[in-house]
Amino acid sequence: MADAPVVEMVDLHKRYGATEALRGLTLHVPAGSIFGFLGRNGAGKTTTIKILLGMVRPSAGRATVFGLAADAASGSVEIRRRTAFVSDEKDLYDSMTVAEIIRFTAGFFPRWRDDLEQRYLRKFELPPDRKVKALSRGMRTKLALLLSLSRGAELLVLDEPTAGLDPAMTEEVLQALVGHAAREGMTIFFSSHQITEVEQIADAVAIIDRGRTVVSGALDDLRENFRRVQLVFDGEAPAAAFEAPGITRVRRAGRMLTVLSTAGAEPILDRARALHAVSMDVVPVTLKEIFLESVTTEE
Amino acid sequence: MLWYKSWRDTRWRFFVGLGVLMLSGVSVVLIYPRVLALVPLVPSSDVGGEVGRRIREIAQLSREFRGYIWAQWFHQNVRQEWTVVSALLGTGGLVAQGSTGALFTLSLPVSRNRLVAVRAAAGLAELLVIAVAAALLLPIIAPAVGERYAVVDALAHAVCMFAAGAVFFSLACLLSTSFDDPWRPLLIAVVAAAVLAMCETVLRDLQPYSVFAVMSGDVYFRTGHLPWVGIVASAAVSASLLLVATVNLARRDF
Repeated sequence: MADAPVVEMVDLHKRYGATEALRGLTLHVPAGSIFGFLGRNGAGKTTTIKILLGMVRPSAGRATVFGLAADAASGSVEIRRRTAFVSDEKDLYDSMTVAEIIRFTAGFFPRWRDDLEQRYLRKFELPPDRKVKALSRGMRTKLALLLSLSRGAELLVLDEPTAGLDPAMTEEVLQALVGHAAREGMTIFFSSHQITEVEQIADAVAIIDRGRTVVSGALDDLRENFRRVQLVFDGEAPAAAFEAPGITRVRRAGRMLTVLSTAGAEPILDRARALHAVSMDVVPVTLKEIFLESVTTEE
Repeated sequence: MLWYKSWRDTRWRFFVGLGVLMLSGVSVVLIYPRVLALVPLVPSSDVGGEVGRRIREIAQLSREFRGYIWAQWFHQNVRQEWTVVSALLGTGGLVAQGSTGALFTLSLPVSRNRLVAVRAAAGLAELLVIAVAAALLLPIIAPAVGERYAVVDALAHAVCMFAAGAVFFSLACLLSTSFDDPWRPLLIAVVAAAVLAMCETVLRDLQPYSVFAVMSGDVYFRTGHLPWVGIVASAAVSASLLLVATVNLARRDF
């Protein structure tokens, strides 16, 4: 995987009236990665994606794709020329047929891939003469994918690509994405709240909560570095002593302290020993646990 | 491809508008013999005031086919029908598309300014086609009632209709960048037209400067000259409304 980021967001803010959708989101998506963008409903995933594509303007901060500013009119057009997007609603033109919307979309992309169009038409068994509004949700998703994958894009942005699909269809869509990324070497940035599918195909993830990035990195690194350490003390657990860089969450329950670390367990264990902890347990965590720990509010 | 999309989005409104205007024009021409038969009865009418004056004026104009067409169609029917058709063609667009393709359109490598420009240009082209086709129908079917209507007159009135109609089209376009349904822009544009018409009736001194005077081609009918000031003013107002629509859409979050 190359290191140069395709997508960069720094201290990104978005306010809708009194509601703050993004509150200082910072994110880097490496080129060639399949990047899972996790968060609860309303965490700010869709807003972030819309900012990248110039559909929503940020209130503050910086968002760039291919080094181009997403909120600049000319940069945004160039970004969309090199990016394919599938919205969570699989938003398409209902009045067109499958063949018509393919021809319509192809007209905007000089690098349109006829070979991929034909391949995915066959693979997805899409009926060219059927109106888009007559397609099932699964077929609609497949059509949206065909329109995205055939663009010859360098970046594919998907907002909840498998939302509303049955498990078989979900698997088919995920396999198509992984296969395409492997063959074409494109970067995939997809939002989801389905942790299992992110774990299945992503090689890097970011978890956002209430408009902020709480966890970000390569999935293997996260699995390696994320540790939950459960500590028991004689008296009141000294939570403040563990608030340091690399500590994602500290939760206290009387004498017991649960510390979630992104930098392995050793620094915590060292500190716990110094504070005379009476019990220390280190537990590896799954992505689901990382997610739940990251987005759960400290009581 | 955006032109094609714009055409697909508006084609039914275009055909409805074309149908309404053509039907209206044909009806006005075909009933001319019956109107002509009634004209001699009008001077005996003792209706006074503004209504009486209007009836006598129309009766006087109707003694000639050109006058009748202007009084009955361009000055009366067209004002109402054309205003609604123009506003109807201006509604819709990106915001009103809602969940049926707006995000897909916005994901294409096209600037929002270009989206508005193509939408406006396609709508105005449709408006011009309806105006010219409906007006040219007059010289074509006039022989059916034993009359003639000059093609030049028809084209001149079509230009006037188009210029004034563009104002209501552009107003509806602008409103469509603020409301996410097609009905409120149409309703507000029609109400605005009704208010303008009422102002024109109450403040008679303003009549020559009214957009409806441009629409019905008053100056052209009476002098044979196109109302260039009114046409340019209408074009300026229309361009301003479309510019505001462009700015409005560019600032909008989707």
